[in-house]
Amino acid sequence: MTYRLFGTSTTRRSVLAGGAAATGMLAAPGILHAAGKTVKVGVVHPVTGFLQFSGTQCRYGAQAAIEEINASGGIKALDGAMIEAVLGDAQSKAEIGASEVEKFESEGVSAIVGAYSSGISLATTQAAAKYGIPHIVDVGVNDKIVGRDLDNTFRFGPGFGVITKTGIQSLIDLNEAAGNPAKTCVIVHENTTPFGSYMAGLMKDGLEPAGFEVLEILPHPTPNKDFRNIALKIKELNPDVVIPSHYYNEGVLFLRTLQRQRVSPKVIYSVLGGASSQYRFVNEFEDAAQGVMDCNHWFDPSNKAALALKDKTEADGKTYSYEVFLAYTAMKFLADGMERAASPDRKAIIDALAVSEWDGHFMPYGPTKMENGQNMAAVPLVTQVSGEDINVIAPAEYAQAKAKFG
Amino acid sequence: MSDTLRITGWVVLAALGIAAPFLISSGRWLEFIELTLFVAVLGQAWNILGGYGGQYSFGHAVFFGTGAYVQALLQFRFGFSPWLALPFAIASGAGVGAMIGYLSFRYGLRGSYFALITLAFAEAFRVLARSIVSVTEGGRGVSLPLNQDSGEVWTTLQFTFAEPFLRHAGYYYMILTVLILAYIAVWRMERSRFGAQLISVRENEDAAAALGVDAFRVKMKAICLSGMIAAAAGVYYVQKYLFVDPEIAYGPAKSVEALVAPIIGGLGTVIGPLLGAAFLHSIGEVAKEAIGALIGPRPGLDLILYGMILVLVLGYLPRGLAGLLDSAWRRLGGGR
Repeated sequence: MTYRLFGTSTTRRSVLAGGAAATGMLAAPGILHAAGKTVKVGVVHPVTGFLQFSGTQCRYGAQAAIEEINASGGIKALDGAMIEAVLGDAQSKAEIGASEVEKFESEGVSAIVGAYSSGISLATTQAAAKYGIPHIVDVGVNDKIVGRDLDNTFRFGPGFGVITKTGIQSLIDLNEAAGNPAKTCVIVHENTTPFGSYMAGLMKDGLEPAGFEVLEILPHPTPNKDFRNIALKIKELNPDVVIPSHYYNEGVLFLRTLQRQRVSPKVIYSVLGGASSQYRFVNEFEDAAQGVMDCNHWFDPSNKAALALKDKTEADGKTYSYEVFLAYTAMKFLADGMERAASPDRKAIIDALAVSEWDGHFMPYGPTKMENGQNMAAVPLVTQVSGEDINVIAPAEYAQAKAKFG
Repeated sequence: MSDTLRITGWVVLAALGIAAPFLISSGRWLEFIELTLFVAVLGQAWNILGGYGGQYSFGHAVFFGTGAYVQALLQFRFGFSPWLALPFAIASGAGVGAMIGYLSFRYGLRGSYFALITLAFAEAFRVLARSIVSVTEGGRGVSLPLNQDSGEVWTTLQFTFAEPFLRHAGYYYMILTVLILAYIAVWRMERSRFGAQLISVRENEDAAAALGVDAFRVKMKAICLSGMIAAAAGVYYVQKYLFVDPEIAYGPAKSVEALVAPIIGGLGTVIGPLLGAAFLHSIGEVAKEAIGALIGPRPGLDLILYGMILVLVLGYLPRGLAGLLDSAWRRLGGGR
């Protein structure tokens, strides 16, 4: 059958040839086989598709934790059982993530760690709840993930509400401490996923009562290949603070465009900035990154274990990003739960995680305190890029440097 | 192949489909079939317009997404029961189809122009869904509350916390029902006057018009029916995953899934989208497992293999898998 397409004879073959090539961009799971007594853990992330970079980083972090746990004798309460990762690829789609949970169920996993994005995590936690599989969410920050009374779902890191609240309050405090140099701001956010739009709304609602004038909110899609118009608009508005909110690629491009267009606000302050506290960005574009502040997931900078993981990650040719250390700590949190449960039984692990007071981690949280699956002790830190370093500037007990306004 | 034989084949397939949850206890494999059926429904929606009508759409997500959003928003904003939201969601697919169809066919857009305008509409709807935050919640998406009360399974049309069998098979039967209804509709369409007119428009629109076929009306009916079926797939998606955002609803992924299955399976055939969806999912899964077992996890490599197999199928099966089955049947003497 031949149809007329694009004015020439385009057959179903030519249409599909393009489709086939495009489809070859997505991904695959696999199974890590371990010898001897093992306890299986499902590890699901979007390692292909548009979230591939972050998903791969998460997978690396989770596997690094498993390697370390196994090297130190496995789960001791289970007679040294090794953790066997059953890997899953959500292909950046919620429905594929949920179908990977079905695979984990058939493999008999004791628990699941994943799934980076909020959209995928909503689907995977719900699918895991069907079978009562404990699910540790490593990165997804949407508060709805732990707000549905699912007793199998746990999040070790902070959620959106806490991060935004901390981000807003920290900006106000840092500004006050510096003599209130910043009075006006512009919010730039991606509006393709739940993350950016939600963040922009919360920032506006939090900053205006504190006396900041929000001059404009500028949305953009993800992916976005050109920020010149937005940069020029910001230049025209001349705000004291630019508040960007987007994923890594757009974060890099946006900050580089600001630099090229010579847009120089007093400070660039992001909350969960895609690139703002990424070593990869600082290493590659040191000039564009200078002075950028970010309220984000961050480790206790004085903790040796955090720095050892950083060295290992970089030695493996990877970037030490929040995805790596969040997935790493999520896996360690699960391992601690298994030790306390002294059983690979899912219900026993859920019960142990629910009352966990784990403090053997390198995040600035202190002992774990779970309420409805959320670690209430989890908080973000505020960092600022200075030279080749990313220094913590707030809160004071973790600060390595003082905040600098331009 | 005689009609009696075809009907017998379909009845056997439907019976197997209904029996599947009793025969397959593994949630993994039932989920695998469920996702296949979901793509087969989307594919059949596309097949009505593209396969039977020759009007290639590159933006069928616009129907899927509208159905999903209407189903979600009527519950989220107005407290509708999912059962009450259902007819509105399906009608919205037809409504969007009527709008796009009127604007396109009224001005004689065909071929590449029609393909591009459907792509443009899907993109425009995505931007709208992102922008009208007060209605659609913008990029943060619409999330429906999860029912955990097993006594409310039927009123909420959610099976995650139903009794064991419904938990195992509730969503499977939901998509199977949509599939059976859609395929019966297409089966009847193929044998109706409307179906014959639609095929005549595909083969030569000017000649069909010369014979008295009202091509505009025929294409309008086709796009509305196609939109309804795609919207029904959107309803299933929302009821199962309880979440929809602009990317899921109107992103290119659903549009591509909708067109690849019927093209591989066999354009303008009832069985084509189902065959295509089953084939695509099977080789995807086999490639994934084979690569995983042979050389360990290599994200993306399975899809390269998958793509190569697709190219081979395209090269050697010009009439799709349905054509292959037909040839095999004839070779076996069934065509005599």
